[in-house]
Amino acid sequence: MINPGIELKENIIRYTIIGAATISSLLLLAMLLFILRESWPIWSQIGISAFLSGSSWKPLNSPPQIGILSMIVSTLWVAGGALLIATPLGFGCAIFLAEFAPSSLAAVLRPVVNMLTGIPSVVFGFLGAAILVRFFEVKFDLSSGESLFAASIILAIMVIPFIVANSEAALRSVASEYRHAGIALGVSRQYLTMRILVPLARKGMLGALVLAFGRAMGETMAVLMLAGNTLRLPGSWFDKGEPLPALIALELGSSIPGSLHYQALFAAGLVLVLMVIAVNLCVNLLLKRIQKEV
Amino acid sequence: MQRNKRLSVLLCCMLAITILAGCTSSKTGSDDNAAPAADTSIKIGGSSTLAPIIAQCADDFTEEFKTWNKVDPSLPEEPIVIFVSTGGSGFGMKSALDGTFDFGMVSKTLKDEEKAQFANGSITQLGSDVLVIGVNAENPVAKVKPSMTTEELVAIFSGQIKKWNELDPSLPERPIVVAVRDLGGGASEVFDTAIMKGTPISEDALQIPSMGALAGKIMDNTDTIGYVSSGLVNQNPDKIIPISVDGIAPTLENINSGAYKVGRPLLLVSKDQPNEREQKFLDYLLSEKGLKVVEELGYIPVVR
Repeated sequence: MINPGIELKENIIRYTIIGAATISSLLLLAMLLFILRESWPIWSQIGISAFLSGSSWKPLNSPPQIGILSMIVSTLWVAGGALLIATPLGFGCAIFLAEFAPSSLAAVLRPVVNMLTGIPSVVFGFLGAAILVRFFEVKFDLSSGESLFAASIILAIMVIPFIVANSEAALRSVASEYRHAGIALGVSRQYLTMRILVPLARKGMLGALVLAFGRAMGETMAVLMLAGNTLRLPGSWFDKGEPLPALIALELGSSIPGSLHYQALFAAGLVLVLMVIAVNLCVNLLLKRIQKEV
Repeated sequence: MQRNKRLSVLLCCMLAITILAGCTSSKTGSDDNAAPAADTSIKIGGSSTLAPIIAQCADDFTEEFKTWNKVDPSLPEEPIVIFVSTGGSGFGMKSALDGTFDFGMVSKTLKDEEKAQFANGSITQLGSDVLVIGVNAENPVAKVKPSMTTEELVAIFSGQIKKWNELDPSLPERPIVVAVRDLGGGASEVFDTAIMKGTPISEDALQIPSMGALAGKIMDNTDTIGYVSSGLVNQNPDKIIPISVDGIAPTLENINSGAYKVGRPLLLVSKDQPNEREQKFLDYLLSEKGLKVVEELGYIPVVR
């Protein structure tokens, strides 16, 4: 016998939640549509391929040259490089915290790592510019210390906590039967962790990497202060470059609303959003395949 | 259950507040635009370079007098209200012409046809934003070539010359690090008008997000050359060495006489002759107090 009052309450809650969820999804859709609308002249006049593959960014010249290949390459270098540094450290830290660390040590380490997520990115950028850039200039006798590599290092520090927290959670969520069975069979702790637990948790761990990659691609402040913001197409990790978020942050303020420059920046924003979404989709597909295999 | 209910009520409230907040802000916006003609407030908008100066002066002015009759006894006892908003020099001129603002803030040299649009109104210069080409104090170029020609500067900033010894054989063979502000911004526009004249800046130039950081880069890195606001050079006299352009040093005399050209005027423009209240505020801006603010914020105040 259900009390009609409770039923009404349940329904109110239900529709509120559905409403909130719908609004959030619509918000994403509306944002994408808005960016698309603002950047439309770029896609129709310059064309998708010319915009994406052009490596010359001179939006104020006449005729303007608008191509964001350098920025796309820079974005991928910085984010990929950050992951290259952060993955081994993050996974190692997660495995240590989940399986090997004595609980007293873990109780100290975990909050410290988590606290790293709370440090504002501008502080990281500032520290990077003050310490890392100077360090490269003095130690390696570079004419200027800004580089994609410097930005990657700072980004790596910023995304490590995400990798650690999410992959530790994934390791912990492996059903305890596997752990018990492993111990009962008398395998070593290393074998149990590396051969049983990690493969079982790889879905969650891969998810952690994707989250980190998305965050690294979208991070603005640190790369703005460290990547050097040069317009040349970067040839290596140690060159300077201008990732998409830095480009937008740097130039949106001085672009005239409605001008081609402004629209091109919106188009660059759309490309950035789509890149992050694409990475997420790719990994979802990958995870489905892994699930089938298991 | 009880907790769920509370949570849902809380969520509903938050949702409602967010939605309402959205409504209110857009509503006030439309109210501003539809302000009645009898409104005695002064509305000023435009250049983001000038906005901090005008906003500071407006604050001081309002604080000091509070009502118009204290500025001048002949004026009615009405509170002083001055709105300042930013949006760029172009926006400032457009809005001053279409009447959205009483004054437009413009931080660029006006072309003759632009001046003509304000022929019936007023163009008031408060000061200048001067860019100084600076190098690190430890860079020998400060002693070897304290003055460069426009051609040399173009060669450096466009990337034709990449090493210091290509500029002068006695200089070390080290790369020149060119530091600029974001291309398309106000400062780079000034530099382009005065020096580059359309020659594109080198693709290797570091684009630095703020003037302060650019000055910091020059102070930190011995191989850097860049342009910085004159105020920042004055604040760090031993760390940034100013380079003369075609033999003209960025001294106060040369700036005020117009001989030093790498700069832009800070202007207030209006479509019509300013009314009594507006004139009082203009007078205040050009008074010692107003010009002091111009100087404090790192610009060169106009000579009266």
